[in-house]
Amino acid sequence: MPGSGGERHAKGNSPEALGTFGRYAGPATLILSSLADGAKHGYALTRDIEDFSGVRLAPGTLYEALSRLEGQGLIEALASADRRKPYQLTAMGATALRAHLDDQRRVADVGLRRLARSWSTR
Amino acid sequence: MSTSLRPEADMRRAARLVRWYPASWRERYGAEFTELLLAEFADRPACRRRAADVIRSGLSARLTVAGLTSHVIEPSDQVRASLATLCCALAAFLAFGIAMWSQLTTAWQWAQPDTAATRAAMVMMSGAVVVVAALALAGAAPAAWCAVLAAVRGRPGLRRPVLLAALGAVVLVAGSHHFENGWPGTGALSWAHQDMVPGGVAAFCWASTLSVSAYWAHPGALLSFPGAEIAWMAVSPLAILSLVAGAATAIRRLDMPARLLAFQARLASCVALGMVGFLLGAACWVLAGSVGQGVGQGAPFRPGLIDVLGLAVMAAALLTAARAAVSARRGAGLALPPAR
Repeated sequence: MPGSGGERHAKGNSPEALGTFGRYAGPATLILSSLADGAKHGYALTRDIEDFSGVRLAPGTLYEALSRLEGQGLIEALASADRRKPYQLTAMGATALRAHLDDQRRVADVGLRRLARSWSTR
Repeated sequence: MSTSLRPEADMRRAARLVRWYPASWRERYGAEFTELLLAEFADRPACRRRAADVIRSGLSARLTVAGLTSHVIEPSDQVRASLATLCCALAAFLAFGIAMWSQLTTAWQWAQPDTAATRAAMVMMSGAVVVVAALALAGAAPAAWCAVLAAVRGRPGLRRPVLLAALGAVVLVAGSHHFENGWPGTGALSWAHQDMVPGGVAAFCWASTLSVSAYWAHPGALLSFPGAEIAWMAVSPLAILSLVAGAATAIRRLDMPARLLAFQARLASCVALGMVGFLLGAACWVLAGSVGQGVGQGAPFRPGLIDVLGLAVMAAALLTAARAAVSARRGAGLALPPAR
């Protein structure tokens, strides 16, 4: 779905937008990661996130993060006849998620390397 | 997902929880959020943490709509929302602050303050009142001009709030003018000694905030007042509410140019600083007035429980106003003080 909705929200947001989420960065990362393989509505997001991360996002937290992500143009709602509205990643959201996960991987790599160096023989 | 055995009860439960969110949020997310809650109820019927999470999130959404957070609202919307919130916070601050200040200034018509700290506090409060009034006027005048232009151009949704605000202002000014002579020694009485503040101004302010009174807790004493005065004590808060609600709604709906919004955001910071000055003066008086006074000495300047309550309300209003001012500056793209 890349490229389907980034233009609509193009208000000068940068791919670093996820860094501005403060305490919502965690839920936002989980939501974007879940949407990376396709659109999902609220309940499907909750279940998918619980499956791959072991974290069950409470409804208030989930929608708080969803509304912020939508406000930043990182996700968008799809039209639906159902009362449950699916969300999908925008191109900007995919870029932001990739940048954020790359940063996290760099930190994880450093931590693992140092652990291996200093703690593997103890 | 399992099916709930109590769909009606669950629907009511979900509706109760969704009501924690503001109307605009419910309009956008209400239906899908209700569906999610129903699915959650089916999975886990009882979960206090979930209810607490929804309530916290709903309150957070209300703060966002009030322009007190930095998220979701579009920048110019955020400035307007923050200014409207600041307007409400300032009104609450002034209702209690002016009530306190006017009591002191009317007292000063008769006797000098009995401590240097009280005198200094009153000078600080009076200076802050002048500063805040000037800033409020500087902010209100261009906004009122924009409102007039918008009304002339037929901008929908502005007439009612503007009329509401005007009605509140007319009732407040006319009523305060009528009742200002009720205080012996000020108003039209030429023999009253005038000191730091003209007696007429002090009496007008006293009459406009007559409802902020400890007499509500003493119905027996209150009933000994003239009926018209008791009626004014009930009507004047409604007039203030009408004025503030109308003004805040008009601000939310008014299209202001970006430069004017930036100007208003700067003024908002200055207003918050003026409020700090007033609150410091008021706190200084309450502290100074609470100690070192003998019985019967300086009675008009002795603070009571209502003044302590007033201080608490003013402190809460100041915190809200300061948060709104920061949010307005952020929305207007102005520089913010460095975060610690």
